[in-house]
Amino acid sequence: MSVIVAKPRPVMRQPRLTLRRRRQLAGFLFTLPALGLVIGFIGVPIGQAIYYSFTSWDGLTSTWIGPSTWAQAFHNTNLWTALQNNALLLLSVPFALGIPLLIAVLLHQRVAGWRIFRSIYFMPTAISWVVLGLVAERFFAERGTLNSIIHALGLSHVTTNMLGYESTALSALGITFVFTMVGTNTMLFLTGLATLDPTLEEAARIDGAGRWRIFWSITLPHLSRFIQLAFVMTVIALFSALFSLIFVMTGGGPGYATTTMEFLIYQTGFNQGDFGTAALYGLILFVLTAIVGIVQLRLIGADE
Amino acid sequence: MTTLKSRPDLDDEPVPTPVPEKSPRPKFGRWALFGAMVVVAVIMLYPFWVMIVTSLKSEAQFLTGGGFSWLSWKNLTSVIPIGQEVLSSTIVCSASILLIVCVGLPAGFAFSKLRYRASPTIFLLVVSAMMVPLQAILMPEFVNITKLGLTGGYFGAIVVYAALGTPFSTFLFATYFRGVPDELIEAGIVDGLGYVGVLGRLVVPIAIPAIATVTVLQFIQIWDDLLVGLLFIQNTNERPITVGLAVLAAGRTTSIPELMAGSLVSALPAMLVYLAFQRYLVKGLTMGIDR
Repeated sequence: MSVIVAKPRPVMRQPRLTLRRRRQLAGFLFTLPALGLVIGFIGVPIGQAIYYSFTSWDGLTSTWIGPSTWAQAFHNTNLWTALQNNALLLLSVPFALGIPLLIAVLLHQRVAGWRIFRSIYFMPTAISWVVLGLVAERFFAERGTLNSIIHALGLSHVTTNMLGYESTALSALGITFVFTMVGTNTMLFLTGLATLDPTLEEAARIDGAGRWRIFWSITLPHLSRFIQLAFVMTVIALFSALFSLIFVMTGGGPGYATTTMEFLIYQTGFNQGDFGTAALYGLILFVLTAIVGIVQLRLIGADE
Repeated sequence: MTTLKSRPDLDDEPVPTPVPEKSPRPKFGRWALFGAMVVVAVIMLYPFWVMIVTSLKSEAQFLTGGGFSWLSWKNLTSVIPIGQEVLSSTIVCSASILLIVCVGLPAGFAFSKLRYRASPTIFLLVVSAMMVPLQAILMPEFVNITKLGLTGGYFGAIVVYAALGTPFSTFLFATYFRGVPDELIEAGIVDGLGYVGVLGRLVVPIAIPAIATVTVLQFIQIWDDLLVGLLFIQNTNERPITVGLAVLAAGRTTSIPELMAGSLVSALPAMLVYLAFQRYLVKGLTMGIDR
């Protein structure tokens, strides 16, 4: 190669350089629209949010107040309630991972008809959380499915109304959240299991390892990256995708019992018209998800 | 399939007892497993069951429990402007996806095949935007879009969806193109296609599977979304279906059977897309980890 190129090199050099430059220019121009969209509609608003978090802002006019807005925000009990609700909802994450893991392992046994089962299990994934929230409301309602089940079990004197009480509404929301995450996480784990070398399990079985031993020593370690990814996706969804469920099921109530950070931002901004404080809450949410997001970037970009 | 086949070196050895591929699970275990799968299936089908059964009752029948009626389906269009809402959802969805692909594909291509000095940094910048939830920038975004006068039609929502979808689609396209040999692109350029020509005639045809993945993922996400449609489409007669349903539900005055009928209608398109393109969905979700 180099021998052939060596001779006409002085002639080739000039157009070669321009070719390289042209390629770089084309590359830059091709990335420009994406960069523009992201800067204009995501980057700039972050900057604005930082500025407006120090102001009193109703969406039209803003007056500079300064760092005291932050001090004031942290004295607001609603913020702490929302943060606490988010923290409590984190308790649902083990279920949102454990149940799909179990289902994926079941599917992986390839029982007769497993393909049909797989399609059924993933089906709720396609449905809007608005619709799933409506269905969940039916499930938890006083005349809903949950009470029918309880009564069918012979406990006819017990009637629940989980969404109606401050003490139970958040649990109902958490249960619904787990249900909505099952499809996606099962999908992830099943993909992970498919990449597992079956001869490994077989070898272990021949060596006399029991089913649990195989699961703990071979299957689970193999899935660790998928479990990490599912964990991150679940936590991010918990912080930023519950809006539809809350809007339909509880409207944040009773009281502030199911108001999470993202819903507090919406309420503060659009129900109370306090855009400045809502922008500030947005930044808090941003920091919380960024911490989780950095972990995710590291996971998906690990081989770059 | 058998142990022997997977280990041909054992063929010549005398095997005293042939080891079957899978240890024969006791019959009871197989049935228990099947039973467990059926139970899970029932739970996952529960939303559909609720929607179908409830929508087939009149309001009175719903309150008393028994009975069957087509009433809520007959009244559906008068209670929920379902046709218009489905149309709005379709318009917003298609336009956003078109924009996301048209912006993300050239960017992803350039980030992996036409690199320039700052491209790794810019790539990181664009992809990091994936981590910013809309709620975090909701207030400035809302005011900006309003000031630009985009909340009057579909355009505000389309731009916001495009901005939110571009980082992921760029990432997905860049990952996809990394698997395409450089020579192919070189050949096109040497043939005098020019960069735009290469993009249109070589890159787009190659990228069909990636385009499908982006389209399916974004379709389900945008079709199912509430927040953007709720805030960035101000005219009530341009509302997408999820917004229409959510607002009626939050109002607590609409009859439940009609809401359930509407929910079923809204769920149908996303379900069909999902069933038809399941594998693209899985591919997109596990992008970057299963390689």
